[in-house]
Amino acid sequence: MAAVRVASAGTLSATVHDADGQPVAQAVVYARPVGHKAPAGPRRPARMDQIDKEFVPLVVPVQVGAAVSFPNKDNIRHHVYSFSPAKRFELKLYSGVPAKPVVFDRPGPVTLGCNIHDWMVGYIYVVDTPWFGKTSADGVASFELPAGDYVVKVWHPWMKAEPAAQHASVTGAQAVPVQFGLDVVQPPSMSKDE
Amino acid sequence: MSPRLPLRSLRARIAVFFILLLVVVEGIVYALVSAGGERIAEQNMAEELLVGERVVRRLVDQNARRLTDATQVLAADFGFRAAVATHDIPTIASALRNHGARIDASVVMLASLDRRLVADSRHPERTGDDRFPLPTLIDTAAANGRAAAIVLLDGRPYQMVMVPVRAPLPIAWVAMGFLMDHGTAADLQAVSGLQVSLVSRAGDGHWSVLASTLPSSMVRSLTANEPRLEDIGRSATLKLDGEPYLSLMAVLGDSPEGRVSALLQRSRREATAPFDRLSAILGGVALVSVLFSIAGSVLIARSITRPVRLLAAAARRIRDGDYDRPVIVDQRDELGELAASFNHMLGGIAERESKILRLAYEDTLTGLPNRAMFRDRLRQTLRTAARARTPFAVMVLDLDRFQYVNDSLGHPAGDEILKEVAKRLKGTLRESDTVARLGGDEFAILLPESDPERVHRAGRRIVAALEPPIVLEGQPVDVSASLGVSCYPEHDADPDMLLRNADVAMHLAKRSGGEIALYDPSGEDGRRSHLSLLTELRRAIQDDELDLHFQPKLELRTGRIVRAEALVRWMHPVRGFVPPSEFIPFAEQTGYVRHVTRWVLRTVVRTIGAWHADGLDVTVSANVSTRDLLDAELPDLIASLLETHATPPGKLCLEITESGVMEDPQRALETLRRLHALGLRLSIDDFGTGYSSLSYLKKLPVQELKIDGSFVRHMADDEDDATIVRSTIELGHNMGLEVVAEGVETEAGLDLLRSLGCDEAQGYVISRPLPAPAFVAWLRERRARPRPAEGHASRVSA
Repeated sequence: MAAVRVASAGTLSATVHDADGQPVAQAVVYARPVGHKAPAGPRRPARMDQIDKEFVPLVVPVQVGAAVSFPNKDNIRHHVYSFSPAKRFELKLYSGVPAKPVVFDRPGPVTLGCNIHDWMVGYIYVVDTPWFGKTSADGVASFELPAGDYVVKVWHPWMKAEPAAQHASVTGAQAVPVQFGLDVVQPPSMSKDE
Repeated sequence: MSPRLPLRSLRARIAVFFILLLVVVEGIVYALVSAGGERIAEQNMAEELLVGERVVRRLVDQNARRLTDATQVLAADFGFRAAVATHDIPTIASALRNHGARIDASVVMLASLDRRLVADSRHPERTGDDRFPLPTLIDTAAANGRAAAIVLLDGRPYQMVMVPVRAPLPIAWVAMGFLMDHGTAADLQAVSGLQVSLVSRAGDGHWSVLASTLPSSMVRSLTANEPRLEDIGRSATLKLDGEPYLSLMAVLGDSPEGRVSALLQRSRREATAPFDRLSAILGGVALVSVLFSIAGSVLIARSITRPVRLLAAAARRIRDGDYDRPVIVDQRDELGELAASFNHMLGGIAERESKILRLAYEDTLTGLPNRAMFRDRLRQTLRTAARARTPFAVMVLDLDRFQYVNDSLGHPAGDEILKEVAKRLKGTLRESDTVARLGGDEFAILLPESDPERVHRAGRRIVAALEPPIVLEGQPVDVSASLGVSCYPEHDADPDMLLRNADVAMHLAKRSGGEIALYDPSGEDGRRSHLSLLTELRRAIQDDELDLHFQPKLELRTGRIVRAEALVRWMHPVRGFVPPSEFIPFAEQTGYVRHVTRWVLRTVVRTIGAWHADGLDVTVSANVSTRDLLDAELPDLIASLLETHATPPGKLCLEITESGVMEDPQRALETLRRLHALGLRLSIDDFGTGYSSLSYLKKLPVQELKIDGSFVRHMADDEDDATIVRSTIELGHNMGLEVVAEGVETEAGLDLLRSLGCDEAQGYVISRPLPAPAFVAWLRERRARPRPAEGHASRVSA
């Protein structure tokens, strides 16, 4: 949608904080246009590393149809799997970069695990819009998008409930601020076997 | 000596004290040990229950961990996770069964995250929307990643564990349960040592026993105790089948169906059994030691009381006079010493008693029994004789003139004679006879079973035995004795009277000059009157019944009456005239003559004094008895009498008997000298009847000599008497004494005496004794008469 973007583009700047007002990192913010389907977009590939027996980063947002590679940066093997309805797959014991990346063709959260290391948890969040971002440590996620009206949503693996979607009207170059308050609770993590 | 109360005896007291002491001590020990044992048992039981509870809980925890581990293995299985994630129910169910079987789980269940029961090994066919029956298990597992609990499912107890199925986040909950049954209870019992029952309390309060190690009968009784189960809590005692159990209810878990608890129980009987055994042993020991102490204290007490009793018995024997048996106590302790001392005392008592007896019953000089012992023997003999009707005799023996021997040869010589006599007496008698010394020279002889014939023979033997002279310091001394005999039963039946009768007979023998006299009851009257005479004589002096008569003495040369003899007369108010011969000897015997003499002297001196005052000049003699001469007061008495009545001493003449002087020549001489010094005239009465030597007579300060009337009366017809009279007159004159003859009854006698040169005469031919007034009248009349009228006078003057 270069045209749209060309015609007029703006920036959405979403700030996510928790109940205490602290910034929430690794939250996926995505916007859907009001009135029409989001275009397929470029389907940028993504990467989910396994470093030191952890998925890095914790959350990787991708657009539907995007391929995600799972490079194993440890010197041991991993067995990455997902039983999530959005994408079921299994990368049996491997090291290095698997030959084929995994294509996520349905929107929704995909929880990644490693059959060898039970504590390893990672998330691929598959969105059906090309406009999305992920909050950094300051709880802010910014991305460009064409002018227009959008429904903006947020997702975080630890959120207890999905907060109400927000409407944002993107008009010009000016950044459109969106605020989300998110109740996040870190689930009990299994102890890591070092 | 048998005590009424058992505790009176020392033995019983000692025994009872020690036994009671032991019983009390044992009782206290027993009580302490029992109470202590019970307390310890109680504490042990409570402790065991607490420990048991900890063990049970630990076991449950361990089981839970084991189960959890197994369940986690199941939950981690990739295939299983894949099956769960893909909701492949048949696969899930079979995986559950398979894994359950691997670890022998009774039940395996899968719950979805929305708490629905996905699969249940109990009901494989049932899948779907049932709610998971143990939601709290999920709560815990969600919070902690795992859960374990003991729950009630379908009324049965299970140990349940639950873990999440992760992919990698929890996607479901898998639960595994083990049925807790009898085996579980038995395991718990094996490690805890307690009776373990698993019980449940349903929501409606109904209790069930799910499994138990108790016998079924007790389990029934446990259910019957339902209301009590409610109250058990941490500690209570339940009676199961009558058997007490300390119980503790340990809650294992709550679940919707109800609560599961472990009832831990310890049999009180078993717990206290060791202490009961200890108590029993202790009781046995106490009983045995009490028995031993009874035996021991009885033995010890006996070892004390036996010698004490022996000593008591010995003391009784000593009381009864048995000194022959000493106490025999073999013990070497204090009681042995006591017994030894006791025996020494016994010996001492026996020795002293025999000494005392000797002193009391023996005459120390002769070794013969004394009067007391003689009387004892006499009484004894009398009793025997009275029973056996046998005669016996009592003799009293008195030595003649023993006083004289004593005086002339000294008391040691007298003692020798007494000893010799005692020896000879004993030698003449039988063993059964008794010779005793009654006192002085008086002996008594008891002849049991003796008839008069034997008594006579014994008497003769005694007399014969005394005949040989006793030789004292080479000097033979003649001894003779007078014997009096009285016989039982003829003479009396009273021991004292028999002795007295013998005494009377002895005196009779002495008076009569015979050697042996048998008691004569007919002589008693005179004797009795003698006795009463004494009292009457006393009264006579008081009442002035006595009177003095005067018999004149004729001076043969001049025919004048210048002297007279005062003679006492007793005019008894009843008996009439009592001659002096009847009461004077008697008064001399009793000593009462002193009073008579004094009365006579008083009366004579007063009379002479009166006559002298009247101008009647006459010298009066008074008789003085033997005893009077030994009276040292006599001279002073006479002196004071003479002074009182202003009587010239020369007018009083005292006539003394020759025998009286001889009783105690020394004292008599002394008295006579003093009387002579007073100026009295002294005369020897009845000269010729005594035994005095002339040399002795010569020393006496006398002026006059009287010839006894017995010679004078018969001198007319008896040549011998005439010779005595004549030679006496000559003797008297040669010694410078005037000679008086008494008992002159005839004129011829007067003439003869005058021719013999006798100085004075006295007798009926001149005048009988006259009362004082008659004598005065007679004398005045005679003096007034012209001398020629007196025929004799002319002859005298011729």
